[in-house]
Amino acid sequence: MKRAVSAMVLMGLGSAAALAEAGAKGGIPDPAASWNHLWHDVLLDLFIIGIVFLTAGLYWVWKYRASRPNQIGTAPKFDKITLIGLAVVPSFIFMADDFYLAAKGWTVWNEYRDVPRNAMEVKVTGSMWSWNFEYDNGASSSFVVDSKEGDGLVVPVGKPVVLRMTSTDVVHSFFLPDYRVKEDLMPGRVTYLWFNPVKAGETIATCAEYCGNRHSFMWTKVKMVPQAEFDAWVAKKKQGA
Amino acid sequence: MSNSTTGHNHAQAHHWETSAAPLLVVLGVLFAVVFCFVEWITYNNKMLAIICAGIGTPLLLAGIAKWTAEALTQKPVMEGLTPIALPIFIVSEVFIFMGLFVSYWTMRLSAGPNWPPAGTPTDMNLVLPIIMTVILVASSFTYHIAEIKSEQNNMGGFRLWLFLSIILGAIFLGCTAYEYNHLIHINFVPSTNAYSTAFYSITGFHASHVVVGLGSFLTVLIAALAGKTNKSLTFCVGLYWHFVDVVWFFVVSQVYYW
Amino acid sequence: MSSASSGFKLGEWIFTTDHKRIGVLYLIGSIAAFAVAGLMALLIRIEQSSPGPTIVSDAYTGGDQYNVWLYFHGAAMILGFLIPGLTGFAANYLLPLMIGAKDVAFPRINALSVWLFWAGIVVALLTFIVPDKPDVMWTGYPPYSITTAGNTALYVFTVHLMGFSSILAAVNFLVTIIYMRAPGMGWNQLNMFVWSCLTALIIQLIFVPVLAAAVTLLLFDRYLGTHFFDPANGGDVLLYQNLFWFYSHPAVYVIFLPAMGIFYEIFATMAKNPIFNYKAAVYGGMCFIVLISGEVWIHHLYYSGMPDWLRIGQMITTLMISVPVGLMTISLFGTLYKGAITFNVPMYYGTAALYLLLIGGLTGIPLAMTVMAVHLGETSFVHAHFHFIMGIFSTFAVFAAVDFWFPKIAGKMLNEKQGKLGFWFNFIGVNITFWPLFIIGVEGMPRRYWDYSQFPVHFGSYHKIATIGAFIVAIGMVLTISNWLISAIKGEKAPSNPWGSNSLEWTHTATPPGPGNFPTPVTVDANWTPYNYK
Ligand code: HEA
Ligand code: HEA
Ligand code: CUA
Ligand SMILES: [Cu+2]
Repeated sequence: MKRAVSAMVLMGLGSAAALAEAGAKGGIPDPAASWNHLWHDVLLDLFIIGIVFLTAGLYWVWKYRASRPNQIGTAPKFDKITLIGLAVVPSFIFMADDFYLAAKGWTVWNEYRDVPRNAMEVKVTGSMWSWNFEYDNGASSSFVVDSKEGDGLVVPVGKPVVLRMTSTDVVHSFFLPDYRVKEDLMPGRVTYLWFNPVKAGETIATCAEYCGNRHSFMWTKVKMVPQAEFDAWVAKKKQGA
Repeated sequence: MSNSTTGHNHAQAHHWETSAAPLLVVLGVLFAVVFCFVEWITYNNKMLAIICAGIGTPLLLAGIAKWTAEALTQKPVMEGLTPIALPIFIVSEVFIFMGLFVSYWTMRLSAGPNWPPAGTPTDMNLVLPIIMTVILVASSFTYHIAEIKSEQNNMGGFRLWLFLSIILGAIFLGCTAYEYNHLIHINFVPSTNAYSTAFYSITGFHASHVVVGLGSFLTVLIAALAGKTNKSLTFCVGLYWHFVDVVWFFVVSQVYYW
Repeated sequence: MSSASSGFKLGEWIFTTDHKRIGVLYLIGSIAAFAVAGLMALLIRIEQSSPGPTIVSDAYTGGDQYNVWLYFHGAAMILGFLIPGLTGFAANYLLPLMIGAKDVAFPRINALSVWLFWAGIVVALLTFIVPDKPDVMWTGYPPYSITTAGNTALYVFTVHLMGFSSILAAVNFLVTIIYMRAPGMGWNQLNMFVWSCLTALIIQLIFVPVLAAAVTLLLFDRYLGTHFFDPANGGDVLLYQNLFWFYSHPAVYVIFLPAMGIFYEIFATMAKNPIFNYKAAVYGGMCFIVLISGEVWIHHLYYSGMPDWLRIGQMITTLMISVPVGLMTISLFGTLYKGAITFNVPMYYGTAALYLLLIGGLTGIPLAMTVMAVHLGETSFVHAHFHFIMGIFSTFAVFAAVDFWFPKIAGKMLNEKQGKLGFWFNFIGVNITFWPLFIIGVEGMPRRYWDYSQFPVHFGSYHKIATIGAFIVAIGMVLTISNWLISAIKGEKAPSNPWGSNSLEWTHTATPPGPGNFPTPVTVDANWTPYNYK
């Protein structure tokens, strides 16, 4: 058991080291990047815990095979104080790790919820089964699930985008895998999420809350384009509509 | 799977205990409640629904009758546990009511100043619930007296006070029926608005408990008429009734007067 | 099954009020549910093996077919297999034996529970024959569940029947454990399995009613026109999700605790060791889980628009669950320390459980972190998490329990060879099935998608691997289940205590136990524990 305890202490140290490594960055935060960073820290943390326990468990399983029939175990009898220690010490180590994870998670979470002031606002309406996007400059766009028609969500690169979302019927969810973010859309409520399109390109957003027959098909194109191209697109949309 | 050798086991003198009552009750519930409801409400097939009810109800009644008869005559595995089990069961009942009340509070609080919502009659009868409260509390008292009579081995008194309790309970249900009838008449139905939704669900759920309570009173009465009593059964039925009584205070204060 | 043997009387079985036979009835029902739900899983896997339609008729009706399979799979695995398999079969068969009681406190109520459960299975199976098949998933979220053309009533009644059955069983067993222990048996002398059931049943007693209330309101909204979940009329969409998860998170511990309990029994017996740090595991582990399990449900609603303080507050409580579970884990692993371990089929499952518990449990941690779940939630990462901890760890617990107590239940020995072969197929198969789901989950593969053509092509390859894995599991399951059936009839006669256990069900009863359980009433002295190997 001593070995396990010392290994757990090591694990605690490992977490502390990982904590020290977290750095701050300037400018508009990029939640997706912070997410990826945190993900690696979490994986490392869990990996250490997992390895410690698994090695102990498997080693003991292998080491303490019975060598003759009717053999009985020889587990040492610990006194009360040791037993309490063996419960309290790991509890505190686990708790320390929990608080470490919670603190790091909370930090990134704040990034997710603090919408930058200069963010462009887009109203998103989900329904069975199409997406609708309304821009505050009056343009609007959509994506129809069955025909796959429409431009979907188009956003300018380099400017944070905040989506104010609601649903006309059942619960849907706007999931942007590339930006590591999702939030549900509900009738009667407005929810929000924001992301920072740092690079031009095309990706998808997809509905992540079960909504019936076309749930699998309820995705939409998301285009990140340079500002000029975006302005041209808005102008065209305004004419067309 | 395990039966192949158990039959040959003579180590114990006992035999395998059996009772047909539980299976009958379940079959009864399955037909009279589940299948009947599914046919009626989801397929709108009234004929089949009535047939299901027709099959289920006798099974259910037979099951209950058999069960009560066995409960009154057979020795339990261990004496005195029923009065402990019932409060535990009531804990879970409390949580069902909590679920309903929490739902009601959520709607109520999120409505803010828009309460009561449009469609609620402005002249909800607030006298009737007081009368109903008095009746229900009175029935708790009469049942308590019945219990005392039973302890004094006064069978006549027991039957009388039990009978009184049943009458009071029935009057209570009558009031509910009267009230529902009136409200439905002025177009205040479960689908009217958020308040009617909560109103009918909570009072209806409570009323269903009154029905169960009355049903168990009846079984006790029938047994008593045949000259049989069972102390723990009497106690439990009473406890349940007091619980139904207490819940009613919450119903009145939250649903009618808040 | 063995009606050929002279001792079998059908009436004695279907009208039985004996806890052991009721346990077996639970087992038959839950394994039946498992088999049907498992076949649904195979259909799901075949369908997902290619991005577009694979076995569904076409892109439009495909959704309807697939959603019904998935609905049945989820609902039946949890409500019809695991909960009744653990708190129905295992608890029924073992609790009275372990505490030295003749039967449970209320044998007729016990029979009522098992038949309510069977009625639930019947109603669930109606899914396949009604024209308007329910398709609301095991979670049944409104407004979808109240607007769909599918038959939500069947879902609601399945939950009602199973739920009422669990509530009655909880009352029954709590009273049994508290009042019917053999004279002299103190709280610290109980089997770990008894403790695990005691705590699981408390959770059941308190939380199942809330689920019952929630689905009842669904029924009212759908069929009586009420507005609980209809925001246009003053209702609240999130109300249901809150009520549902207020129950359903604690429900995972109704599954997890008895599963742990079973592995504790197996480890202690096969390693001939006492439980390591018994009190820490019981009071710091199990009892603490009961206390905390009702304060974490928001972790299923991290991306559902709950207020931020709730999302953060319950992130912390959720992470804190690693403390009691960690204590239980240490105690479980520690029981092996300096043991004398014999390897049989149950111990094979036990060894695998060491790994499964860690994979399944630790992957709950990123999900518990609000910000991580905002990406990982509702993806197949979640699937992999809960299949590891529930679909594999806890499911293996049921299989290990049947294997471990098989000699007691059937009076016959299992075929070890076939058991081990089945184990290897199961173990290798589940790893092949669920590891790919972790990987594509992190990349964004959403749940409940049968067509994922819009995603990168390599998702298809991962799904194919998973499908192959599922078929390997299927072989393992057929080997395992058929082993029980064959051994129950043809197996060697079992000695009365083949594993040399010290627990009452092995030392004081006939094999298999007759009516009334114990030939002579049991008393235990202050030094007795089920784990006293001397
Ligand atoms: C038996 C069933 C079971 C069990 C035991 C668990 C256990 C846990 N689960 Fe899981 N879970 C499910 C079944 C289960 N889960 C199901 C079915 C779903 C999906 C439902 C649906 O949507 O359909 C789900 C979904 C789910 C979600 C929601 C995901 C989403 O939809 O967004 C979350 C989020 O927090 C979560 C977290 C956890 C955590 C933290 C634990 C913890 O209890 C795990 C604790 C265990 C360990 C941590 C490992 C052992 C401990 C140590 C080795 C000590 C040291 C460790 C540390 C200090 C970290 N689970
Ligand atoms: C106890 C719980 C449990 C168990 C054991 C399983 C077991 C399996 N599950 Fe389960 N699964 C869930 C609980 C469980 N699942 C839940 C709760 C969901 C979520 C549902 C939702 O989203 O609402 C889910 C969802 C789910 C999905 C997600 C689909 C989607 O979101 O689109 C997938 C996909 O791969 C899957 C696959 C599997 C597989 C391959 C197995 C395999 O391990 C199954 C192996 C079993 C068999 C193959 C049966 C073998 C038996 C026979 C063949 C009969 C033999 C009979 C005799 C000999 C008499 N499951
Ligand atoms: Cu919209 Cu799923
Ligand atoms: Cu949970």
